[in-house]
Amino acid sequence: MSVANDMSLLTLIAGASLPVQLVMVILLITSIFSWWYIFIKVATIKRAETESENFENKFWSGGDLNELYETVTVGRRKPQGMASIFEAGFKEFIRHKQQGKMEISDVMEGSRRAMRAAYNRELDDLDAHLPFLASVGSVSPYIGLFGTVWGIMNSFRGLSSVAQATLSQVAPGIAEALIATAIGLFAAIPAVIAYNRFASSVDRLSVRYESFMEEFTNILQRKS
Amino acid sequence: MIRKRENTDSWKAGFLAIAVHVLLLGGMLVSFNWKAAHPVLNITEVELWDKLPVVQPVILPQPKPKPEPIEQEKPKPIVEEKPKSEEPKGDIGLEKKKKELEQQEKTELEKLKLNKLEKQKKEAHTKKLAEEMREDALKDAKSAEKQAKLDSQKALDKLKQDMLNENTDTDIKAASAASANVIGEYTDRIRTKIRGNVNKTLCGDSNPELQFNIDLLPTGELSGPPKLVKSSGSAACDDAVERAIVTSQPLPLPSDPTIYAKFRNLNLKFKPNE
Repeated sequence: MSVANDMSLLTLIAGASLPVQLVMVILLITSIFSWWYIFIKVATIKRAETESENFENKFWSGGDLNELYETVTVGRRKPQGMASIFEAGFKEFIRHKQQGKMEISDVMEGSRRAMRAAYNRELDDLDAHLPFLASVGSVSPYIGLFGTVWGIMNSFRGLSSVAQATLSQVAPGIAEALIATAIGLFAAIPAVIAYNRFASSVDRLSVRYESFMEEFTNILQRKS
Repeated sequence: MIRKRENTDSWKAGFLAIAVHVLLLGGMLVSFNWKAAHPVLNITEVELWDKLPVVQPVILPQPKPKPEPIEQEKPKPIVEEKPKSEEPKGDIGLEKKKKELEQQEKTELEKLKLNKLEKQKKEAHTKKLAEEMREDALKDAKSAEKQAKLDSQKALDKLKQDMLNENTDTDIKAASAASANVIGEYTDRIRTKIRGNVNKTLCGDSNPELQFNIDLLPTGELSGPPKLVKSSGSAACDDAVERAIVTSQPLPLPSDPTIYAKFRNLNLKFKPNE
């Protein structure tokens, strides 16, 4: 009666049955990965936002487009974000112009296609890992729930072989089973929040890119 | 898994992710009191006893002077119930009846008065009698009390003298009596502890008697499974009692090792419905 049950976290996890432990391990790994992706995405999206901000400032400051093109392409690394769209469009435009004897509409169409391709590549990079976060957010509670149901089933099955069922016989089993749900929720909640936040920031960025593309096309058309 | 442009952030992000998990785990370990402090430990277990196992020394005869209240038949006051007031009011045809009733009432009142007088007389008489009896009884009681006191005094003196005279003899006797007492006490305790764990519904309404032979360790735990010596007649009941014996480990045992020897192999008679 007075045997103190050791309810420490480690004994609870170690005492769980194999499927429950498996569920816990899976959930822990997904949780670590989702947090990793969250931090990566926070950094990349923030960087994309500041870069596009800087580029827009530079672009609308009224300098020469050729100079801007030089500064963008001079760096070692490939231009990113809005700069890459600008680079693709302007390069295509210059090439067509150098070839000469082409219709303006064809030139515009070509540069527009190039910009569209660069924009798609940018968006793909921005959207990376968001599906993973979405599926973690929606699935991991179910995985945790599965572990809990399994653990509770086990603890009740053990209870049936005892003559006098007391709460202290079931309680540790249920507690260790509930840990699985807790881990699942811990993985899911930040993933869902992050997914929603990132999706909206990616949407805003894509709108920004698209409007820049339209404006830049107008400027090129005026130049040609 | 990781895009090229994310390479710069991946290490930092991975470190942060692991830090978050370590923080959460630490928080859980600190904020939760994982050591289950059973409140059961703080509760003192109380066993209820019908009688104290201690042998009472010479029981003093306590005469209770109770004067017998002589029950004389008390004349019951024949109180006639009040004239019913359910008479139809204002019924002229019934005036005669009313008058008759009034007359009756008058006569009844007179009767009552007479009765009362008689009663008072009787009561006075009985009171006198009772008082006389009581006085007598008190006297008797007092004398009896004195006598009893003297007797008890004598008995005590005798006992003391006996004790003095046969000191060694009584010591042994007392010791054996005491050990018998302790054995009885602890078997009773074992029985009550087991009884608390028996699922009585399995034993029916009748009061079957079982006998179990149990081997005990000095710690109060069983050294082997309890052996059924006498069955109650129903296997379910036997099983229930056997389980109860197993679950009520450790059984209460005296700390004295010499007395424990009697418990090493214990034949336990048991009535679950007692």
